[in-house]
This record gives sequence, structure tokens and C-alpha cells, in this order.
Amino acid sequence: MTGFLEIRNASRHFGGLKAVDNVSFAVEKGEIVSLIGPNGAGKTTLFNLLTGQLAPTHGSVSFMGRDIGPLRPHQRARLGFGRTFQISKTLVSMSVLENAMIGAFLNDRALPDAARHAAAALERVGLAGVAGKRSGDLTLGERRRLEVARALAMQPHLLLLDEVMAGLNQTEVQEIIALVHQLNTEGVTLIVIEHNLKVVRAFSRRVLVLNRGQLLAEGTADAVLTDPAVVEAYIGGGASS
Amino acid sequence: MSNPDTSFRAPPDTPVAMPRVRSFVGELPLLAFVLAACAGLIVFFTGNSFAQNLLATTFLFAALSTSWNIIGGLGGQFSLGHSVFFAFGAYIAARMHLDLGLSPWLALLPAALVAAAFAMLVSWPVFRLRGPFFAIATMAMTEVVLALAMYFSSITGGAQGLSIPFKAGLHNMIFRDRMSYAILMLCFLAVTLIVMAAVTRSRLGYQLRAVHDNEDTAEAAGIDVLRTKLVGMGISAALTAMGGVFFLMYVRVVDPPSLFSLFDIGVKIALIALIGGIGTIYGPLLGALLVVPLEGMLRAELGGMMPGSNLIVLGFILVLTAMYLRKGIAGTGTDLFARIRGGR
Repeated sequence: MTGFLEIRNASRHFGGLKAVDNVSFAVEKGEIVSLIGPNGAGKTTLFNLLTGQLAPTHGSVSFMGRDIGPLRPHQRARLGFGRTFQISKTLVSMSVLENAMIGAFLNDRALPDAARHAAAALERVGLAGVAGKRSGDLTLGERRRLEVARALAMQPHLLLLDEVMAGLNQTEVQEIIALVHQLNTEGVTLIVIEHNLKVVRAFSRRVLVLNRGQLLAEGTADAVLTDPAVVEAYIGGGASS
Repeated sequence: MSNPDTSFRAPPDTPVAMPRVRSFVGELPLLAFVLAACAGLIVFFTGNSFAQNLLATTFLFAALSTSWNIIGGLGGQFSLGHSVFFAFGAYIAARMHLDLGLSPWLALLPAALVAAAFAMLVSWPVFRLRGPFFAIATMAMTEVVLALAMYFSSITGGAQGLSIPFKAGLHNMIFRDRMSYAILMLCFLAVTLIVMAAVTRSRLGYQLRAVHDNEDTAEAAGIDVLRTKLVGMGISAALTAMGGVFFLMYVRVVDPPSLFSLFDIGVKIALIALIGGIGTIYGPLLGALLVVPLEGMLRAELGGMMPGSNLIVLGFILVLTAMYLRKGIAGTGTDLFARIRGGR
């Protein structure tokens, strides 16, 4: 079968640590999939395997039926991968608008086109009012939204959001949830790493739970969140084996 | 007007005024003004050959530093090995002139192309290194190429160096009066400033800055980081090699230790950019206007009594810049201007 995005038997070891350990799953076009799990479960490492920031120790990743294993992150971006970073990697020497333009330059050659698309992306995440600010002067929440804006300006087919809600207030969280649903109806497929379980319920028909690098559970939000093994992993922490 | 601070007054569904993105054409008025001011200096010091010499050297170093700034400032790849590309230009022009009797003007294009190709080739492996490791690798490259230059004396004249016979004429790029050299170097400066402005206000310029700020973000945004660095390095090296051609015809006597000099060329052009404002269009020019005349005057006044005193002064300026002007003269000035206009 050829899924939209498929990862098969992927592992990534750091020395003796198996950050991601034999994980397989597929994402269909138009889905919103949530990826949850305790701290250190390997969620971000898994994201890095998908986007090409890290090469898997074993296993393969395919996108639209094509093996993208050898592709570097910038090549995957050209296929339609957009991502945000958990620790926001804002381009601090640039203004907010210029940060978003860096994403827009994926499709635009001319400055005015890039500026127009960047402005539209900033508008969508509610940062239009601070477009002229230096990005280093933004608050943490604004920086996370800027990460989203830069990814949006790339007009991605697949958007990977790494804990974009952390540090946002209630109103901002609601705005991002609305934005995610809006993007989804426009045809963007999303994979979302999220800690806030309320947000997870709001987002996803399908939830993947990662624990100690392994896929612990997979299913609807309600089923997964009441799964005893998942509850154990979250609450039991390191006490169980 | 486009001040984002006033945007809250707009009703939520009307589009907010975005800050304007400056284009290359938008840079041209300021560029013309700056070049006219430099030309004004040449006219002002008419007949003063000491001053004309200083101006020629200042404009040459401003141009070299501007060339360096494309990869060193915008791209953040702190090369200390640009003297290699500089020397390439000088030797290509020298060989074409001495062996084939060709005009140095004809050497400009080959020098630029060969230096760009060489720069991209040697940078390919070195660009895997980040930060100080990259800088150290470029210093090592300088030493290796210097040793090779001493060895291949049929090309470089070895330790004795080369000299170009004095045959004055525009065709030979050799002039009797010093003022012509100042004009020549100003023309070269104009070329480098135009290229720098064009790169800064282009997709490539933005991508170089993104690579400078954060390579992971740049990659995730679809930027081919290695290719971007190589293109930036190629442009930078090509301009630097042209500077080597002009330098050769200006001094007419060159030997490997002075052409490849880490301090007098490689480090100096980086320092000038650092003092003036790294990554800015006019920073290197400002840095050169401050450093080169001061150094030249000190050398003239004290050189005999205290050899090396010019180095002490250069070091002192650098320390002051590091303490009070973290972004260099141009960077600090721009920030100040933005603050005044932004009313913060």
C-alpha cells in the first residue's frame, strides 16, 4: 500500500539510547494526527526522522509512494514538508516579516511576492501587528506563532507542529486550534506533537502514543486516553517496566 | 504610516499595513550619494599625493572588505583566507601581463572566474565546519597555499617576488599621478557596493542571512544550505580576486608573503567589516574610512620610531568597537535610527 506519509520500522539510536525504536505508522492525506507521550519519549526525534533532520539508524520513510530516505530536509521541504521547532529557532537578526519571508522564498523568487505571502501568513497567526518588530523582541508565545507563520508561508502539504501551544494563553490556544482546523479543510495534512490533552481531543480523530521510543498505543483520542497502558506511562512515569 | 505600532486602531478585518521591504532599486539613491561623497574626497585632496595614496588604499580595502562581507557578513562564514583569492587575482594578472603582454583589464574576468571556482572547490569540504572551526580551516588554507606559492617560483617569482615594469597608460592600468589610482579604486568600490546591495536585496541575500542565523531553520524552510554558502563564497571570491588585479597594478611589486599575509590582508579585511558593521552594505566602507587612513598616518608619523604601532592602534579600535558598538558603526547607527523613528 502507498500511504501519503509512511514510516516503517524506523529506529534512531544515540549511542546506547534507542530514542526511536522500531516505529511504524502511516498518515493519510487530510488527516490530523496527534503524537503524544511523556517527556523523552522520542517525539521530537521521530519528527526529525520524518523531516530529514536526522537519518534513521534503521527503517525507511516514504512520502506519496516515494522513498524519501536519502532526501535532505531542504529537499523534503520542496516536496511540501513544513515544520516548526519545539525550541523556537527564530532568525533573530531579522524582522518578523523577514522571518516569514524565508518560508515564502521556497516558492517565490521576487521580494515583493515573498513579502506578500509572508504578510498573509503573519495575518493568519495574528502577528500582522508586529510585522516590523525585530523577531528577537517577541514574547515566547509570539515566537511560536512566528514558527507557524514561517512554515505556513511555505504553503506546505504536510505540516508538522512541535508543541506550538506551549507558553500560549487560553485565547491564543483557541486561535491556533481554529487555524489548524482551517488549514486542514484547505487540504493540509497535519502531525501535531502536543502535551495539552484538551487540545489533543479538539484536534484529532487519531492519536499516536510514544513511550520510550516505541509506539505504545494508537487510536481515537477517547480510546487512547483511557487506555490503562497509556495512563500508566503518563502517571506511573519510570516506576513501571 | 507603515508603523506597526499604530495597527491596533484598524478594525480587525481590514488588512494591517505591512512594513515595506526595501528593494535593490530603493538602495540606489543612497548608493549614488555615498559614491559621490567618496568622489568628493578625491576632488577635495587634489594635488596632495599623500592623501590620494591614502584614499586609494582606503577604497581598495573598503572594496575588499565589502566583498568579504557577502559571505563573511551576510552568510556568517567567517573566512580569514580571502588573501588566497586576492593573490590568485594578482598572479593571474601578472602572468597574463608579463608572459602574454595582455592588459590587466583583460585579466579581471579570468581572475574572477578562476578564484570563484577555486573558492567553491576548497570551501566544499570546509563548509561542513561551523563557527570558529571554519575560520581556523581558512587560516590553514592560507598557509598551505602560501607554501605552494613559494615553491612554484616560475609563477610567483618565489621569495624574490615579481615586479611589473612601469609603462604608464590607461591600457596598462598604470598611472603617473596618484589621483588616478584613487579613482580606479573608487570604481572598484562602486562595483563591490552595487553587487553587495543587489545580493542583500535579493532572495540569495535573505537566504544567506537565514543560514547565518540558524542552519536548521534555513534547511527546514527549504534552503539548500551548502549551495547557498557556495554561491555566496563564489561571488565574494570573484570580487576579491579583482581586487588582487588592481592591487598588483597599484604597487607593481608583489611577493607571496605580502600577498598572502594573514594579518595585512586576510584578517584585516574581516576586522574592517567587523568594526564598520558586519552584514551591512556600508559597514565595511565606514570601517575602512576609520581604520586605513589612521593606520597610514600612524605608519608615516611613527613607523620609523615604533615599528608595529599601527597594529596597536588597530587592536585598540577593535577593542573599543567590541565594547561600545557591538554591531559595528553601521549596525549601531541603524539601530539608533530605528529607535528614534519607532519612538521607543
